[in-house]
Amino acid sequence: MSHDPPGTTYKINRERVDTDYLRNKLKIKSLEVKNSFNEKYPHVEKFFADRGIDLSKIREHSAKIIATGALTGTLLFAPPTGIKSVPTGHEIAENINRTNNKLTGAPSQKELLDSLKNILPEKVGPMDRSQEKALEQTFTNIIGVPAKATLEGEHLNTTYGYIGAEQHLMRFPGDTMATHPKLAEKDEGMAPGRGAWGYVPDENEKWYAVVQTLYLPDWNTRLKYLRDWYKYRKVLIVNTVNGNAVVADIADSGPAAWTGKHFGGSPEVMNYLGGSRYKKGPVVIFFVDDSENKVPLGPVDYNDVNIPGVALKLT
Amino acid sequence: MSKLFFDHLLNLDKLDKQIKKVTKSSEEREEIWLLVDEIVHHKALECILDKLPKDAHVEFLTLFHKSPHNQDLLFGYLKNKISENIEELLSQELGLVSDEILSEIED
Repeated sequence: MSHDPPGTTYKINRERVDTDYLRNKLKIKSLEVKNSFNEKYPHVEKFFADRGIDLSKIREHSAKIIATGALTGTLLFAPPTGIKSVPTGHEIAENINRTNNKLTGAPSQKELLDSLKNILPEKVGPMDRSQEKALEQTFTNIIGVPAKATLEGEHLNTTYGYIGAEQHLMRFPGDTMATHPKLAEKDEGMAPGRGAWGYVPDENEKWYAVVQTLYLPDWNTRLKYLRDWYKYRKVLIVNTVNGNAVVADIADSGPAAWTGKHFGGSPEVMNYLGGSRYKKGPVVIFFVDDSENKVPLGPVDYNDVNIPGVALKLT
Repeated sequence: MSKLFFDHLLNLDKLDKQIKKVTKSSEEREEIWLLVDEIVHHKALECILDKLPKDAHVEFLTLFHKSPHNQDLLFGYLKNKISENIEELLSQELGLVSDEILSEIED
């Protein structure tokens, strides 16, 4: 019978102990903070309890409200400043027709950017269904990838948000950057932990995306189904600033909501979307409607003309 | 999207990097993210309620409950009720919380 060399066993146990120790410390800290808060402001605990909400789960509550608002078109309770009015049905139809008929004769990239400008809200955040429908048409017609905001009844908490740079994911036990393919410059290195579905097969790792499955309102109640549904699910990611588009598969969950980011991209995804210095930026993410598994992962080269000052292709 | 109205004041990238370094699976990472989140939003609410006149607490909580993500609405309300710069105070408080949690992790 083989055993781990003593050094390895020590390392594994040490890591286990470290994580448990850290979790316990944070649990204690969290309890202390909650108890002190509840002692100081007992009426707040009661206020939320009366409404069936645990203050600890306020993000879940926020996600539900935002999702409901997006469905009913009443996302914001007070009219905020800096938000464009939602395009009317007529404007959306006109926009789609223009795209369909190629009336403008402009390069695809310009057409896409013009459409995004017309359809997207001014502030990065959830869109309503009419905006998402208009984008679905736009992406299918200009980019050539059938993509949907809602696929098989599933929808992300937001489809328009900030993407942040992630590290490479381990493909097998012992995988290191010594053998892992990497970018020529400013590579992010390898994440110390595994992806949400464990080690990531080589063919899924290069062009991978990260989405906040943990904040889905029904994640805990439909865990088994949703874990399978999201595993390596293909998504179309469109950089809304320059129009670069890439198809990636979901291989991890995150980022934490308190990072101000909503999605993550592998080093290759981020490099294609915005170049080697691109670490965070606004994107639209839709599911790829690809039941026959015909859409390849990687860059979507839909345009053959670059607009000056807005690089579409990496040089 | 899961957004709270003060998220733009959070600067926890250092903490996020450290958590990724010490966790080995997404389950561990997510559990720790949620614990951090609990600490952060209790502290944020405490900081706000400390400064907000008591007779405005229920009104504020009602708005927060109805639209916890709405930065313009909630900071608009707080700015009307609190004479000090609440965004700056909250930002400072959240910076301290981040340092505290970081020191717990790095100990």
